[in-house]
Amino acid sequence: MAKDDKSTTVDKGKGKSVDTPAKDKASNAKGTNGDKKDKKDEVPEELSEEDQQLKSDLEMLVQRLEEGKKELYKPSLDQIREFIRTSTSSMTAVPKPLKFLRPHYDTLTALFEKWEEGEDKVAFADILSVLGMTYSDENRLDSLKYRLLAPTKDPGAWGHEYVRHLALEIGTDFAKKQSNDEDTKHLHDLALSLVPFFLKHNAEADAADLLFEIDSIADIVPFLDENTYARVCLYMVSMVPLLSIPDDITTLRTAHTIYRKYDQLAQAMTLAIRLNDVELVQEDFDATSDPALKKQLAFLIARGGIRIETDDENIAECLNNSRLSEHFLALGKELNILDPKTPEDIYKSHLENARGPVSVDSAKQNLANSFVNSFINAGFTNDKLMLTEDDSNSWVYKNKDAGMLSATASIGMIHQWNVDVGLGVIFRFMESQDNNIKAGAALAVGIVNSGVRSETDPALALLSDEQYLHSKVPQIKKMSIMGLGLAYAGSQGEGLRELLVPILADSSLELDISAMAALALGMIFVGSGDGDVAGVILQAITERDEAQLKTKWSQFLSLGLALLYVGRQEDADATLEVLKAIPQPIGKATSVLVDACAYAGTGNVMKYQSLLVLCNKHHDLEEENKGEDLYQAYAVLGMAVITMGEDIGAEMALRAFGHLMHYGDPIIRKMVPLAMGFLNASNPQMKVYDTLSRYSHDNDIDVAVNAVFAMGLVGAGSNNARLAQLLRQLASYYHRDPNALFMVRIAQGLLHMGKGTLNINPFHSERSVMSRVSVASLLTVLVSLTEARSLVLDQHHYLLYFLAPAMHPRFLITLDEDMKPLPASVRVGQAVDVVGQAGRPKTITGWQTHNTPVLLSYGERAELEDEEYIALSHTLEGLVVLKVIQPFPFSFRLSPY
Amino acid sequence: MGGAPGGDSSKDQKDQKKDKPKYEPPPPTTRVGRKKKRMGGGPDAANKLPTVFPNARCKLKLLRMDRIKDHLMLEDAFVTNEERCRASKGEKGGLEQRQEEERGRVDDMRGSPMGVGTLEEMIDDDHAIVSSTTGPEYYVSIMSFVDKDLLEPGCSVLLHHKTVSIVGVLTDDSDPLISVMKLEKAPTESYADIGGLEQQIQEVRESVELPLLHPELYEEMGIKPPKGVILYGSPGTGKTLLAKAVANQTSATFLRIVGSELIQKYLGDGPRLCRQIFQVAAEHAPSIVFIDEIDAIGTKRYDSTSGGEREVQRTMLELLNQLDGFDDRGDVKVIMATNKIETLDPALIRPGRIDRKILFENPDQVTKRKIFALHTSKMSLSDDVDLDEFINQKDDLSGADIKAICTEAGLLALRERRMRVQMQDFRSARERVLKTKTEGEPEGLYL
Repeated sequence: MAKDDKSTTVDKGKGKSVDTPAKDKASNAKGTNGDKKDKKDEVPEELSEEDQQLKSDLEMLVQRLEEGKKELYKPSLDQIREFIRTSTSSMTAVPKPLKFLRPHYDTLTALFEKWEEGEDKVAFADILSVLGMTYSDENRLDSLKYRLLAPTKDPGAWGHEYVRHLALEIGTDFAKKQSNDEDTKHLHDLALSLVPFFLKHNAEADAADLLFEIDSIADIVPFLDENTYARVCLYMVSMVPLLSIPDDITTLRTAHTIYRKYDQLAQAMTLAIRLNDVELVQEDFDATSDPALKKQLAFLIARGGIRIETDDENIAECLNNSRLSEHFLALGKELNILDPKTPEDIYKSHLENARGPVSVDSAKQNLANSFVNSFINAGFTNDKLMLTEDDSNSWVYKNKDAGMLSATASIGMIHQWNVDVGLGVIFRFMESQDNNIKAGAALAVGIVNSGVRSETDPALALLSDEQYLHSKVPQIKKMSIMGLGLAYAGSQGEGLRELLVPILADSSLELDISAMAALALGMIFVGSGDGDVAGVILQAITERDEAQLKTKWSQFLSLGLALLYVGRQEDADATLEVLKAIPQPIGKATSVLVDACAYAGTGNVMKYQSLLVLCNKHHDLEEENKGEDLYQAYAVLGMAVITMGEDIGAEMALRAFGHLMHYGDPIIRKMVPLAMGFLNASNPQMKVYDTLSRYSHDNDIDVAVNAVFAMGLVGAGSNNARLAQLLRQLASYYHRDPNALFMVRIAQGLLHMGKGTLNINPFHSERSVMSRVSVASLLTVLVSLTEARSLVLDQHHYLLYFLAPAMHPRFLITLDEDMKPLPASVRVGQAVDVVGQAGRPKTITGWQTHNTPVLLSYGERAELEDEEYIALSHTLEGLVVLKVIQPFPFSFRLSPY
Repeated sequence: MGGAPGGDSSKDQKDQKKDKPKYEPPPPTTRVGRKKKRMGGGPDAANKLPTVFPNARCKLKLLRMDRIKDHLMLEDAFVTNEERCRASKGEKGGLEQRQEEERGRVDDMRGSPMGVGTLEEMIDDDHAIVSSTTGPEYYVSIMSFVDKDLLEPGCSVLLHHKTVSIVGVLTDDSDPLISVMKLEKAPTESYADIGGLEQQIQEVRESVELPLLHPELYEEMGIKPPKGVILYGSPGTGKTLLAKAVANQTSATFLRIVGSELIQKYLGDGPRLCRQIFQVAAEHAPSIVFIDEIDAIGTKRYDSTSGGEREVQRTMLELLNQLDGFDDRGDVKVIMATNKIETLDPALIRPGRIDRKILFENPDQVTKRKIFALHTSKMSLSDDVDLDEFINQKDDLSGADIKAICTEAGLLALRERRMRVQMQDFRSARERVLKTKTEGEPEGLYL
């Protein structure tokens, strides 16, 4: 089909001169004037002398071929070929010789059949193949037919247009033959002979297309060289989200092979991470012995959240992200934002329109302050609220009940990634007599350790302790489980399985504890497709009685199961089968969630369609079948989960959400803002937050609250001034509604997360790789907001801390080979999609030059400006190792600027 | 104020006082002028389809387009389903009926008669200042059913007769002059009616038609297609004829104007007309703008005391801006024609505004033969007519001259009541034409 429009241009040339009379006749038929028609008919005869000459020459040659004198065949054929080859014309017209030979095409084909085998016949076939390009209609595939009869080493001899046409016919024929189960070997061979021509003539896309068409993209590898591989790989990789299941994996693997062949380990590594193939990652990792490159690869692996073991201490440090906090603080120092901020700095309530004395739920506000404080100071290791000199006067004690829990846990977020200091502070609270504080401390331990790894496993050591994980107090137990889930998200540690599975399987425990265990296991084994854990969760679901399964916590059992299959695609099918046997409604809801997660980030249209169809149903809900429509909520979330990572699908999903908002039942409308927020996490686009801001005034307060949160999500860590303004307006709009106000505050906190240095978008490495852990953590928060009023807005606000694993600094820090920060000047600008463009297009636009460390917003890309360094990673994101180029008399790296 | 943390509320209040003067500008209103809207942004941009890259012909593009198609089909299915649901549920029955009712309600709200006014200024999302033709300006509200995307300062709006609130927009605010310029009926001349000029035809097609038909060819090559061409050459060489043929052939909107049309009576009218022409062209893109006799406004700039002269120059400056100014014109191609290219302002014909300059020369022998053949093809000639005689003569004949000879010969034959044109007629016709041609030039008269 791709070739279809190609063919139109081929045809176009023909259309211009050949079809013109027909077209004119048509316009005459409309009845402008009759005499014009006579004139038109004379046109073909009005040939210039040289044209006349050419025409008669060709006619003579054709005649000679017909006469049957064999000795004349060869020279005549040669002459015709010469005529065709030497003719030049504008791109709007068919070459003249082809035009004049047109009337004789049928004679010639008939003649061809009569000839005996031999060299002449082959030469004749060669010419007929070219003629076939312009004359035969689509279905005849004459070019191909004669080309196959005339084997040649040099298919490019007849020019570019011809080769393209041939490629088109190969594609059509291949599809036809394949559906009839015929042999396609000869087509395959011919196609391969065309590939070098395409590659040589700057038509990398055509080469790849042809091989895609005959289902053998893997064969492209031997044809590439230093100059072409990069473009071909780029093209192939951008094709991936649009391909169906087996093809996308093959394509990625082929691209990986190519990168490996040309020693682009960083790129190969990114693809290996994208494939989630640990063995391949390990193989790439072992492929180099250069310590600097190895460290760079380690950084990539660490960002991808894959665990790899190594003996080298320095490299282990990179793999474990151990110095993340150090780098982050260095960035803070460079940007001069180390000073802690208070929530009031963010609210700027003096700018809100004061509406007289307001009675607010101060507990709720204090709680909001705890969260906001932890979000804005995340990772900076100090703040003005929690870390006071005198513990007894700490902010913790200004909260009540569960508020104390969240307040204590916020210490963890403030010290995120900084295990040593963080644990030191938390220890003071771990010994507390208050159960809530103790529980909060357990959670804080988990948060501190999320995203970093340490050989000593402090989180495991602390939390598996008798008084935490096995505590009698439910909230301590729950928080310890949650802490483990956060700390070891994506680690797939066996030890954790042994610890948590018994808790999950124990149906004598409260449902919320088991559900939290399921969730923690889901986080830890995210995207692993681990059958054992899945079995246990399914078991847990079946063992619970129906009344329990109707409560809000049962959602997290489903979610835990779904997280196991993030990105596993078909691997989830077996589980889906089992889920059919599970009692409703949870069975249906879970299967929707599992299905959506399995295809996370693939853009799979079939799955998207099935979810959209689910949203078409309307339920008349009575008291007894409450919760039956939960699957619709998941379906909406699922639409976002599936389409993210593929720009077109994502944009189209936004349109669909508009329809859902218009037609949907309350449960759907409630989820739409969240799905929009998820789709654009940390990507404040005007069209999205404008829509969300409209929803934030919805009559349905659930919709409004979720829209407010989504606004926070969209702006997370961006400091976007317009969003800040909108949220401030919302704060005064909702000043009487404590729940909505709480959410506005949270959104404000998210917006200024890490003082604008963090992001929570699940995609990294130039938006190409999806971090499963981030998806899991975002999804958890969103699922907990389906029942916002009974969870987050009630006593279970600590669920918001599930955002922690998704938080990553959006910095670019350049390091030298010894891991010391190395300031280099870089250009930072909006990334441009350069796939399939001619020449050497600019990859960024509207750039500014900065010195590292710098912050990168969503969709921005950086380029090294210094010619003296070379970056070991292809994407300048996160931590990048620079290497000094050996001084050469002239620069080898051609800069396009 | 709810956010003030309990502990240091007194201190905070002080802080607040101190902070008070800090001013943050109010958010701009969500809507702006129409042009801005077009560029994207705003909640309505969410309804736009994503753009598809790359522009080259390749499978990637196809797959991306397919993806959009799939999604659109899903959307369609969803919406029809929902509508069916609603229709079966709702007792009113039928989407159309409901729409009709709603429309009727809107009409009631609009009332009748409605006043016509001009929108002076947008205040916020639902208020504006309008002025009516009678004079006073009003601060009025905008009804929610008015399409706010169409509102822009200066447009004509419908006003409620009592409350004077805006109840509608009169969309077509471009000068009626413009619609005259839009070519409704294609001229009858086609490329076949042009004798010779192969080179010129090809150049025009490459730079005007091809970019509109196959923009991807240029994209693949990595170049920007030419924006426009200028046709120049001595009188009667077929410049306008070629433009007519282009108009005949193309399916794009064809706007034709004569340079002198841009010279208007009132100050500022010329430039405005010029702007509007290009605006109309952009609205109906892809389009071709043909400006004949561009030297009427495009002469070199010089110091002038005459207001009229200056106005003409200003009109040209507007044209310059429209051709290659700040805004991207998109799919608008410009063809200009003149026979005095040397008098044109160099800025007008610099590359980037006019990328190709196509010279039309007096026909050579081969072309002359073609032109003769064209013009005599429908005349009844007697057997003794041998056109080669004229073709081989070294007269400096233009295409128009040849046509004149043929017509003159026909007239002479008519005078003598013959039904066939004879060689003799041609000879005397030629002499007459050549004589009038030289007479027309006053050379030597004042020397």
